[in-house]
Amino acid sequence: MDINGAPNEEQPRPGQCLRTFLREQGLLGVKKGCDGGDCGACTVHVDGKPVHSCLYPAVRAQGRSITTVEGLAGPDSLHPMQEQFLAAQGFQCGFCTAGMLMTAATFDAAQKENLPRNLKGNLCRCTGYAAIEDAVCGVSTGQSGGKQQLGDNVPAPAGREIVTGRARYTLDVPAAELPGLLHMKLVRSPHPHARIRSVDASAALLLPGVRAVFTHLDAPGQLFSTAQHELYTDDPDDTRVLDSVVRFIGQRVAAVVADSVAEAEAGVRAVAVDYELLEAVFDPELAVLPGAPTVHCDKDAALARIVSPRENVVAELHPELGDVTAGFREADVIHEKVYRTQRVQHVSLETHASIAYFEDDRAQSDGAQSDGGQSDGSQSDGGQSESRFGANGPSEAGTGAANFAGRLVVRSSTQTPFLTRRSLCRVFNLPEDRIRVVAGRVGGGFGGKQEMLTEDVVVLAALRLRRPVQLEFTRSEQFTAATTRHPFRIRLKAGARRDGTLTALQVDVLTNTGAYGNHAPGVMFHGCGESLAVYLCPNKKVDARAVYTNTVPSGAFRGYGLSQMIFAVESAIDELAADIGMDPMEFRRRNIIRRGDPMLSSHPEPADDVLYGSYGLDQCIELVADALARGRERYLTAGLAELGPDWVQGTGTALSMIDTVPPRGHFAHSRLCLLPDGGYRVDVGTAEFGNGTTTVHAQLAATALGTRADRVQVRQADTDLIVHDTGAFGSTGTVVAGKATLAAAQELAGRIRNLAAELSGVPAEQCVLGPDAVDCAGTLIALAELNRHAEDRGESLESEGRWHGSPRSVAFNVHGFAVAVNTGTGELRILQSVQAADAGVVVNPRQCRGQIEGGIAQALGAALYEEVRIGADGRVETDILRQYHIPTFADVPRSEVYFADTTDSLGPLGAKSMSESPFNPVAPALANAVRNATGLRFSELPLARDRIYLGLREAERAADLAAAREEQESADGRRRARA
Amino acid sequence: MIPFDYRRAIDVDSAVAAATANPRAAYLGGGTNVVDHMKLGITGPGMLVDITGLPLDEIKELPDGRLRIGATVRNSDLAADPLIRRRYPVLSQALLAGASGQLRNLATTGGNLLQRTRCVYFQNVTTPCNKREPGSGCSALEGYTRYHAILGASADCVAVHPSDMAVAMAALDAVVVVTGVHGERSIPLRDFHRLPGREPERDTVLDHGELIIAVELPALPARARSSYRKVRDRASYAFALVSVAAVLELEIPENRGTVGAHPAQPPGPALIKDIRLALGGVAHKPWRASRAEEFLRGKEAVEENFRRAAEEELDSAATLRDNAFKVPMSRNTIVAVLRDLTAAQAGKEQQR
Repeated sequence: MDINGAPNEEQPRPGQCLRTFLREQGLLGVKKGCDGGDCGACTVHVDGKPVHSCLYPAVRAQGRSITTVEGLAGPDSLHPMQEQFLAAQGFQCGFCTAGMLMTAATFDAAQKENLPRNLKGNLCRCTGYAAIEDAVCGVSTGQSGGKQQLGDNVPAPAGREIVTGRARYTLDVPAAELPGLLHMKLVRSPHPHARIRSVDASAALLLPGVRAVFTHLDAPGQLFSTAQHELYTDDPDDTRVLDSVVRFIGQRVAAVVADSVAEAEAGVRAVAVDYELLEAVFDPELAVLPGAPTVHCDKDAALARIVSPRENVVAELHPELGDVTAGFREADVIHEKVYRTQRVQHVSLETHASIAYFEDDRAQSDGAQSDGGQSDGSQSDGGQSESRFGANGPSEAGTGAANFAGRLVVRSSTQTPFLTRRSLCRVFNLPEDRIRVVAGRVGGGFGGKQEMLTEDVVVLAALRLRRPVQLEFTRSEQFTAATTRHPFRIRLKAGARRDGTLTALQVDVLTNTGAYGNHAPGVMFHGCGESLAVYLCPNKKVDARAVYTNTVPSGAFRGYGLSQMIFAVESAIDELAADIGMDPMEFRRRNIIRRGDPMLSSHPEPADDVLYGSYGLDQCIELVADALARGRERYLTAGLAELGPDWVQGTGTALSMIDTVPPRGHFAHSRLCLLPDGGYRVDVGTAEFGNGTTTVHAQLAATALGTRADRVQVRQADTDLIVHDTGAFGSTGTVVAGKATLAAAQELAGRIRNLAAELSGVPAEQCVLGPDAVDCAGTLIALAELNRHAEDRGESLESEGRWHGSPRSVAFNVHGFAVAVNTGTGELRILQSVQAADAGVVVNPRQCRGQIEGGIAQALGAALYEEVRIGADGRVETDILRQYHIPTFADVPRSEVYFADTTDSLGPLGAKSMSESPFNPVAPALANAVRNATGLRFSELPLARDRIYLGLREAERAADLAAAREEQESADGRRRARA
Repeated sequence: MIPFDYRRAIDVDSAVAAATANPRAAYLGGGTNVVDHMKLGITGPGMLVDITGLPLDEIKELPDGRLRIGATVRNSDLAADPLIRRRYPVLSQALLAGASGQLRNLATTGGNLLQRTRCVYFQNVTTPCNKREPGSGCSALEGYTRYHAILGASADCVAVHPSDMAVAMAALDAVVVVTGVHGERSIPLRDFHRLPGREPERDTVLDHGELIIAVELPALPARARSSYRKVRDRASYAFALVSVAAVLELEIPENRGTVGAHPAQPPGPALIKDIRLALGGVAHKPWRASRAEEFLRGKEAVEENFRRAAEEELDSAATLRDNAFKVPMSRNTIVAVLRDLTAAQAGKEQQR
């Protein structure tokens, strides 16, 4: 076959698909998102036509011409579609980009007219498709012509790598760099709750290519949590690398390591496990009843930090502010309802994956390896130098003894390289200098990668086999064995006076953490925090419990509990407003906190480090109200005539608040230096997964150093670069890591200025830094020259910056929808979508807008149809993207995005965080719009079409019934009157 | 993936002979369904006979006005074919409503007819399924049945057929031409797929080794209008909750008034000369709505009749715990499609 214009004589292996074949030829721009023709990340051209290479038998490509993203243009040029994706920055994490633009590169003008149809084979989870539409249609956005500093639309530095397929994600390591790489596949539990009596790996170990099988007998005894936090004590220690008890269908039972993925899969099929079945519980309401099966009855409450293992309660919260009973007495109207949010999955396009290898083994294994023959499935007798040991072999639990040379490197798709290193060291009892964790470019996170889900088990295998080992989750494993958003059951009671004063707010919350307690306390606490604190109400009460069940674990998810609670609270606020006949926005205006008000969720005392660094909620409310008013004329008048008599229309809004940094410390460290060519390099710990922090760091540093962002190189997410970074979660990329970088840049700017002053004799305050030189009152001294001077003196122009994440500020988002609902079919159409955000000073407006558009899109999926369904036996039923629908291009309306005009006194150069929060107000705003249109309150997500339809029918029946009853009563009345 | 043999077919006869001789053989067309199912472990053929090299990739008009579509014609080529677009818009619309561009570039006409159900329990190899493993039981019956059949299901299987194309072809009275070791035969498309009965593992009436070589479409009357509408959760790229394919031929009544009396009086409602209606997403096969057709023939093309016809058809619907909504949704969609076709609005709507 011909690949990217060059003949290729390589023979595909039997049964191989084109995707893996092309990757083995070094074309790593061909990505795996689903491996089933659902996501399009692997799109390549066969004879000029785009196809999913994951479904294309490689053998069929013989005699054909294949084009991958690497071959779309010449070596140093870009295809027009690549140029357009750069010009519009039509990507965030970039994992879907190669496939997306390969499809779009084939479009003619007519096809570009109907992108909803023609782009349906390519899914993007980050952007919300607005920037992709701009890119495909050749719209160039954000030409600021500015100085490439604060407030400019600086493009992402990795852009060119992304559009050419050269950006290196976790597994994009050329085979030559990791000779002897072994592959791991996991035996997973078919039972929701069982004790493992024995594992027989003997048959598996006889299979060709299988190197080892690991079980709980090989795993360290140290309990830990997959959740990654600055303080590991935030989460319960309830997890083992491999456990002797399995607590959900899909939990790891054993790890099979083989020369190839296919051989490891064959090994998995050959492992026989004897289980003693235990009683299981799937419903959190049942899990807390006396006599329910206990998921972690073997744990010591204090040691594991589980509130009550016997009652399946991981964490609980029961504060009261004021007196809610009195508050309800004062109320003229009371709203009481049970709200439920479903399980949703992050669906980052890059699945969880990691590789563990030894730094010094790279060279050694170069020579030790036989040829590539092992990977074609043939048995390789000579290659098996390590001893094989199976499940029942000698136990070496606690592999900790660091009796290996060099260091172990873990390359992982993670948001938290430093915390993951810490956790690995704790589990394997290793000093921190023996492990290095690095992240490549991360293909989406959304909280899902604030967990250690692959690294521990590959480290176990690598330590034992002294060989590089890789584990890549399949898309199904993402659904069945990674994490989801915590489902919340919220019993809510709220009261208000007729004058529009909120008098009491009470919630009883039950969260389902699944089989493990990772993030269970944090999500519950945080969920019950800002969602309630944003309302100034004297009486508030929370009763919350996070509960174990024998289901797939929940974990960190964009919003961290807030999206669930805000759905309930904002729905209730709307109901109260309706009950007293007040415009819901007006009701909110009267009850929200204003600058200076104490921010009280339900504790009588506010958190002492959360301050009003700035306040823009009032502006956000007015921005959305104004946009909806404009839209009412534009959309509703036009829309109503077009839609017909079956349609009813309405508008809805919701607001949200978020602390800009998680509590109890979030640390960052940056190193900055002047380079010989007069540019700069900054090293940071935080990871780039499409959140855009790389650009933000470059812009913040450029602003302080008087240079341009493209003169600042950023290196990141490597434990070798800096001392410590808590990680890219809790919306901290800008406000914590950015603040450290800004501090480093300000210090370095001062030192450069001082040196320039010394050399020029001009006072330092008159020396102005520029992109190439320091202007010393008219005399220019080149930065390169300054650098030489410093070197000559044995000094280096370097600096460091640190930030510890406190005090914290608050950020706000308000969302508004105008919708139409078809009363005949339940179809919901979004006529207008508006979000206003208070992000402080916006460092990069185009990028921040992209975060908001992407958050809206992800939230729309969760509001409308996404649901990880759990069957009656505890099994995840929606385990592929065909069953779990995320929004496609056609599903996401263009949203109007507005920014409040505020400057934060705590964030770097006035900036605040804006990455999780755009998600949070979307579902309640939509539910409120549907309520406004139909009169029906939907208290359960998702708002699927059949749910709306059935709700409408039920309301009709109820209305008919009421009418009939009324008629009956009046007839009775007439009869009585006659009698 | 389970190891398998791979053979490239050189001609139809040898392909059929090879596949018939091996009870574990399967044909490989575009592979979008088979390859995916092999990866997921749903199917494990011992031999794949690749038929994409066979000369079955032509669309040609037969002398009697019929159109013959070769079995390996790609879905994308079929949807874009000018004759198809002009004469059978329902088919083009159905193809474009299904799958993605990348999939249509691979998927074949024959393979599309042989798609397997997307029932979540069929696709999840860890759950019992009579279709995947005969006799193992039906997980859907006790499970989540939002996507399942309301017509023609059995106690053994409530899965639905996923193809959009086949629904349109059912409404077009297409004929499937197949060949086997005993020669060629033609099967009307409405009889090609089976209801599950006691043998849900058999989707079609094909014998092992029989190969689809073409689909033939009869000519439509010049005035017939056709259209396809699909209702689904996501705006695009999702399988149908309900879909409707309709071919409608109307008789516009002559001005019945006395000559000269009221020359400007508009004509009364059109009469339905002929109608062919098929439903997708509701049954184990593309569901030809014969009772509704019978009801409508000769009647006035008015909304009330459409509604009554739909109700007539859906009278036999049996719903499960989660799919009762499909009955009114089917009814409303039938009414909407026929109303729009009558108003000659078909084709204007943007299907994705």
